[in-house]
Amino acid sequence: MPERFLVETLPSGLTLLGEKMAGVQSAGMTLLTPAGGASDPLGASGSATVLSDLVLRGAGSRNSRELTDYLDSLGLQRSSSVGTHHTRFGCAALARRVIEALPTYADILRRPHLPADGFEAARDLSLQSIAGIQDDPRHTVLIRLREAHFPPPFGRNTMGKAEDLEKLTLEACRADCAERYTPRGSILAIAGDIEFGELRDAVASAFAGWEGATERIVKPGPISPHRVHEHYESEQTHIGLAWPAIEETDPEYYTLRLALEVLSGGMSGRLFTEIREKRGLVYNVSAGYSSLKDIGAIFGYAGTSNDRAQATLDTFIDEVHRLAEGISQAELDRAKTGLKAATIMQGESSSARAGAIAYDYFIRGRIRGLEEIKAAIDAVTLDRVNAWLKNNPPGPFTIVTVGPNELKMPQA
Amino acid sequence: MPLTFHHHQLPNGLDIVAEENPDSHSTALGLFVKTGSRDETPAINGVSHFLEHMMFKGSDRYTWEDVNRIFDEIGARYNAFTSQELTAYYANVLPEFTERAMEHLSHLLRPAIRQKDFDTEKKVILEEIAMYLDDPGHRLYERAMEEYYKGHPLAMSILGPAQTIRDLERDAMVDYFQSRYGPGNMVLSATGRIDFGQIVDLAEKYCGGWKRVNARRDGDAPAGRPGDFQMSDAKLNRQYTVGLTPGPSAQDERRFAARVLSDVIGDGEGSRFYWTLVDNAIAEDADFAFYPADGVGTFALSLVTDPTRSAEARVIALAELDRVRSDLNDAEVERAKNKIGSSIVLQGESPLGRMRNIGSQWIYNREYRSLGQDMATLMSITPDSLRALMNDFPFDPMTLVTLGPPEAGSDTAEPAPDPGQA
Repeated sequence: MPERFLVETLPSGLTLLGEKMAGVQSAGMTLLTPAGGASDPLGASGSATVLSDLVLRGAGSRNSRELTDYLDSLGLQRSSSVGTHHTRFGCAALARRVIEALPTYADILRRPHLPADGFEAARDLSLQSIAGIQDDPRHTVLIRLREAHFPPPFGRNTMGKAEDLEKLTLEACRADCAERYTPRGSILAIAGDIEFGELRDAVASAFAGWEGATERIVKPGPISPHRVHEHYESEQTHIGLAWPAIEETDPEYYTLRLALEVLSGGMSGRLFTEIREKRGLVYNVSAGYSSLKDIGAIFGYAGTSNDRAQATLDTFIDEVHRLAEGISQAELDRAKTGLKAATIMQGESSSARAGAIAYDYFIRGRIRGLEEIKAAIDAVTLDRVNAWLKNNPPGPFTIVTVGPNELKMPQA
Repeated sequence: MPLTFHHHQLPNGLDIVAEENPDSHSTALGLFVKTGSRDETPAINGVSHFLEHMMFKGSDRYTWEDVNRIFDEIGARYNAFTSQELTAYYANVLPEFTERAMEHLSHLLRPAIRQKDFDTEKKVILEEIAMYLDDPGHRLYERAMEEYYKGHPLAMSILGPAQTIRDLERDAMVDYFQSRYGPGNMVLSATGRIDFGQIVDLAEKYCGGWKRVNARRDGDAPAGRPGDFQMSDAKLNRQYTVGLTPGPSAQDERRFAARVLSDVIGDGEGSRFYWTLVDNAIAEDADFAFYPADGVGTFALSLVTDPTRSAEARVIALAELDRVRSDLNDAEVERAKNKIGSSIVLQGESPLGRMRNIGSQWIYNREYRSLGQDMATLMSITPDSLRALMNDFPFDPMTLVTLGPPEAGSDTAEPAPDPGQA
């Protein structure tokens, strides 16, 4: 059997990951560089987000327009985003086009022009995005929830604060780029119709001689629960609920994940059943695991008419507490089937696979095959889930509401 | 790519279209019904979407709890959606669950519509309507459709007005269901790792008893009306603008050129709108999209800006629509084609994406188009095809609607005088 995965750390510190997929002509790429919201310099929140735009405004031998036109001429479906730990550049297309684009992505990371006029525009766009969030209460509540729940700087809104962005200078951004667009801590993952030999050569040549500072590693402090209400004259009250959880590398991770599937997996999940189906209180209600390096959490959301918001919050919390009383065998079986099927079906998309192996490597330092994940899910028994739930009751809760009225907060 | 197309019609008239891909890991099944808000009257506006929710509330044999439980037991990725013209129900499963998924979808589409469930679900629909009221982009789009298609059923919203939903009775929904949900007005679409013989057998077993319906649709293709409307809301920070203008329909051969043209003008990156509006931060977002529909089509311009820059952004966008008619260049057309070409390749690797594509193609055109045909058509498009298209659809008339804080933009009271009725 030929190797399915490639894992290699280049002398510069850049990690190269590959996954060969059968039956596809495409490849997906995820390129992570350790410039995330959490490591934005003090007083310069939003710097990584501005940079993620600015580095695309000319790099290597191409100016802004030439760079964009070139990537478009390859037909790449492109994306970029900034998370807590990384800036992520993604693309997908016919596999050979993705390989062809690698030298240009190396330019973007290593030789961006960072032009002055582009800086003003990129910063202006960031300020506009921050202003735009205020028009979207559903988005606002999720941002406030992360800010309130995760210890700083992990909970930061990666867009940054307007007052920091207004002070941000091109010089500061250039210095930040030199420090955080660095091979140590960068991960390049490609999945799809690829040959590892060709991929290795392309990466070795594009990234040869890349040097950079050591990755700035930020550790989270302890979580402390908060209650936040933001007044907004909206039609619905938007409720965000968070509580602490074990890390993804914890041996009981799949125990927790399966319990969360029971809470909010498919449409037979308890939140959906009790809050939407039985009582018609909401259109949207959900809760899911959210993982950062060294810290886990569960985030929930419900949107409901203002006069029914209290009932929704109370029922939501009751259902979360009820998990400690245990789940049934039938619920566990459904949760296992759902989680395994989702993992297998994700294997059809080269972009999704590239993202998954990059993430796996970042969190665990290695790539897991499908069989290992299935075995970990299968190893969880009903007794194990129920014992774990009993010994690890959920809470304390961070609760954030956005709407016209404050709600009565529970004690826990 | 080893994709094979199959078509079969059951004796009761149910069409089955399928695309087999032995390389897939999963199977996707969908039932597509040619019905949506366009097929409603104002008195029952929103019934298509409400009915879509009621399908998940059980059949004579199953309760709503059974419906949700069974889908989860087979680990399905499943959902449904309602548009102005189409309602679809689908499930993506591992191949071993094909029969259970088919059986379950067939139950879904023979709903009991129990009064108690109807009353509870009405509250959920009202929550969904409230949720969209908190979304300025959605409010604006609905108003733009209302103005553009005034007097035509396409002017109605998919969810319907809250009061119409409150007043809606179960019997009206049952009547609507009986007139629209049957062979002759629907298609079963199956893709991914399938055995077509098995799909036909399962369809016969579970849907063979369904009665054909003779559903009709108002075939008039309304032309858009020029107009300029302002809406205001004191709590908003940003100014949102939508402009609708005629484009080719879902049946029109020019739709492929229209897709390329919309990318040249208003794709998220590298387009004309990107360089003239977003690159310099005059607008936070500036898009130009193509929406083909049944017998009618539109292009939609959409801008999000600071309120102080809204008027400027709009002038630039309209000037660009004017300019592209005279200075379109070969390279930008080629780039747009390459980007669309990639999306065709990627869609071919997703059973869910293909199932949706071939199901809706069948509803609109009763034809199957392979990925190879789509790619060949795309590659045959030239800058001249786009120029000819712009002669036929010169972005005029345009219905423009803006939404933002009251002090911004024009001081015209709401609603603005309607030049379309002058």
